[in-house]
Amino acid sequence: MRFSGFILAIDSYLVRKGLISLLSRIQGVRIIREFATADTFQQYANRQDIDFLVINQSLFDQSSAVFVSHPGLLERTILLKEEPVTQMEVHNSIHLSEEKEVITGKIRRLMDLHVSSLSSSASSELTQREKTIVRQVSLGLTNKQIAEELFLSTHTVTTHRKNISSKLGIKSVSGLTVYAIVNNIITIEEVSLKPSE
Amino acid sequence: MISREMSMCVAVFENMQLLPLFPRFKMKLGFGERSVEEVCKTHEVNTDFFLEIANAYLDEAYIPGDGLSLFSLGTMISYLKETHTYYVETALPMVEEKISRLLDHSSLSKKEINLVTVFFNDYRQEFLTHIQEEEQHILPYILELEKQSALERPDPEFTLKLQNYSIREFEQGHDRLETSLEHLSRLIIKNLPPFKDFQLCQQVLDDLSDLVKDLTDHANMEDKILVPRVAELEEQLLNRMDAP
Repeated sequence: MRFSGFILAIDSYLVRKGLISLLSRIQGVRIIREFATADTFQQYANRQDIDFLVINQSLFDQSSAVFVSHPGLLERTILLKEEPVTQMEVHNSIHLSEEKEVITGKIRRLMDLHVSSLSSSASSELTQREKTIVRQVSLGLTNKQIAEELFLSTHTVTTHRKNISSKLGIKSVSGLTVYAIVNNIITIEEVSLKPSE
Repeated sequence: MISREMSMCVAVFENMQLLPLFPRFKMKLGFGERSVEEVCKTHEVNTDFFLEIANAYLDEAYIPGDGLSLFSLGTMISYLKETHTYYVETALPMVEEKISRLLDHSSLSKKEINLVTVFFNDYRQEFLTHIQEEEQHILPYILELEKQSALERPDPEFTLKLQNYSIREFEQGHDRLETSLEHLSRLIIKNLPPFKDFQLCQQVLDDLSDLVKDLTDHANMEDKILVPRVAELEEQLLNRMDAP
């Protein structure tokens, strides 16, 4: 399972901790770092990629350089406002008076929107092609045989296998086989698994 | 939440799932009226550290407090190693023995028995490799980082390495060991023919689910407590190098 990494740059201790407590209850969220000042946040941003950012207005105003050096980050940023907002400069904003469900909903929508484009947080759902390959692995086929059956290069099959492993967190053939059985991709009768040496 | 003033007996009685932690801290039961802090002192365990671990273990959404910087990474690493030892020497052999007994007295086909056996063998191998990687590369790196941070003049070679490596990379590639065990449970519940010995089958499923919970907590502890703390040290050391 992959996670969406969140950075929080919020100067109020209480708001920061409160938001962390809320965020960490959302499936798939991982809090990477929290910052209380624009300085420490920028130092970090100079060295690291950022998946998602929640930042309050005053730190946002002081951190414009970060958005220049991280193109695209603005779309993955949630601006934390003390007052309800009307202007549309940042698409995503939450304000302090909002209820838990509203905030959770906004965070989820943002993640859904961007999660597939971020390498570190690939979706764990297999594509149809990947399911076919898992099935053939469970039938006992080698990468070469799979490549021939699907008219692909062995290299492409290897790439698929790697993606499958990182999506599922399973490397071994037996692990993929059991995965395929419990997910109705193959029946136990069809499986062909060599005994351990 | 467990707190330092709380009676250790009450803390455990109300949170039985804490029990597996005690051997890892080399703590024995028979607490009497002593508080959490007093029991920790008797066993020379850092109380703040014990509290962080116990609370993280109880609540998956637990956010480590500011008490984190109070204990050394060495303390944490020896705890992690104790936990690894527990998995390898106790938890895995225990469930493996039960699975093999379950298979021996079952009406499963050769194919089904082979599936479970090969699966578990491969799983054990992956597990050992995972732990070896941590113990041979990651943990020594963290100890070295802590050592260098304490020096007035850290080794330039080490700090140079630091500019290209961060513990965050380890976190990104940190596989979850519990996933495969969940698949095994589902295989037993859903796909395999029913076992004659239901009691034993239930014990296997219970053991698997305990182990899944423990591994989840262990990974959370690595990702939520260890990694942020190490990343902080990395950052501090790099900042010191940047300063004139």
